Amino acid sequence: MAEIRDLMIKVPSIRHQWLTFLAGHGLQDFPPAEVAGVDHVVGLYENDRLVGTGATAGNILKFIAVDASTPPGAYFNQIVSELQSRLAAAGQLHVMVSTKPQYEKSFHYVGFQTLVHTHWGVLMEAGTPTITQYLQGLSGATGTIGEHRSAIVMNANPFTKGHRYLVEQAAMQSDAVDIFVVSTDRSLFTTAERLHLVQTNTADLANVHVYLGGDYMVSYATFPAYFLASNDTIINYQTTIDARLFRDWVAKILHIQTRYVGEEPLSHTTAIYNQVLQKELPPQVQVKVIPRLKVGRTIVTATQVRSAIAQNKLSEIRSLLPAKTWKFIQIHQTELETRIKKGMTIRGN
Amino acid sequence: MGISKAALAGTLESSDIQITLSPAANGIQIELTSAVASQFGEQIKKVITQTLQSLGIDNVAVKAVDKGALDCVIKARTIAAGQRALGQKEPAWEVL
Repeated sequence: MAEIRDLMIKVPSIRHQWLTFLAGHGLQDFPPAEVAGVDHVVGLYENDRLVGTGATAGNILKFIAVDASTPPGAYFNQIVSELQSRLAAAGQLHVMVSTKPQYEKSFHYVGFQTLVHTHWGVLMEAGTPTITQYLQGLSGATGTIGEHRSAIVMNANPFTKGHRYLVEQAAMQSDAVDIFVVSTDRSLFTTAERLHLVQTNTADLANVHVYLGGDYMVSYATFPAYFLASNDTIINYQTTIDARLFRDWVAKILHIQTRYVGEEPLSHTTAIYNQVLQKELPPQVQVKVIPRLKVGRTIVTATQVRSAIAQNKLSEIRSLLPAKTWKFIQIHQTELETRIKKGMTIRGN
Repeated sequence: MGISKAALAGTLESSDIQITLSPAANGIQIELTSAVASQFGEQIKKVITQTLQSLGIDNVAVKAVDKGALDCVIKARTIAAGQRALGQKEPAWEVL
């Protein structure tokens, strides 16, 4: 039987062998950042010959490629099983994969469920909690009949007066608002900090509920281009997956009728995302684009806040921030500067 | 009783079964993926249910991906997943 080995792809000769194998299976020309984001890579060997490979990045399976085997599927199952067992041993029982439509069936046979299907790609998940379990586990997110429920997905890196304005607009026009804070922890402000600032800055709004978006809303699984520099084709594809996931699962199960987004004059990626949401969500879910809040002549953006922190010019951004965010930044200024110095990007999102 | 944490045991290789357990409140619910579900589905579910009950677990969500496992394999993998979910390290001899 074929044998699993760890592949140390930092070693140039092993990396070369691995990339050649992937290229032989049609996997090539991916952004270097995607390889750098990988946690573990395994190789499957039959008599010292590489016959399969697979990798994990967080709880996402990546770079899966196998030779044809007898019986068919044996190599594939062995790789997927090994990666799942390793993630389970590390306490991660929920696994996702974004793959080409021709591999959908193979993943079905090993217990994966399709979340979104498009012509170019498929998003699938296995294990537990499932998307249904995640959504049903959100307390207070179950709507009542006749209620107008809205949702906002935000990274809030960090929460500004602009975010507050967007939430207020939604809260005024709806019976209830669900805010989903991006779970992926790749921003200057950590996920815990971002969540905390959204919660404290909206605590006075009785009809607003705040949750983490889990693996499903602008996550590293649905929309990696939000976190990695990517070209427009990739952004278009990933935002379509993200939008359909929201439309067909989140909005459907939680009875959300409207999604609010901030108008996006500055970030290219987010601008495409807004366009795709407007194309994909209706008629099931309405999209309301709210013009950006201005303080004086400045459009309020979190990007500005981060760059002011990097340049040690806090006084410039005080007017853009609610009191609680301002206080938080003052207290944690040194720590935030250290993160930027250590290489945390402040551009992008 | 129920379980406090999720757990996995088994593989997707031929003649094996992969069992994933997660906390749930309404009895033993099994979601089975198997090429032989129409012939042996009920038998597979029966073995899983009995094994879980003998471990004292009666509230749990089960995902089983079967690759043609024999009953003894199904039982062994269910015991392993069940004991992991309960945090038990010693083999449950009386269940075997």
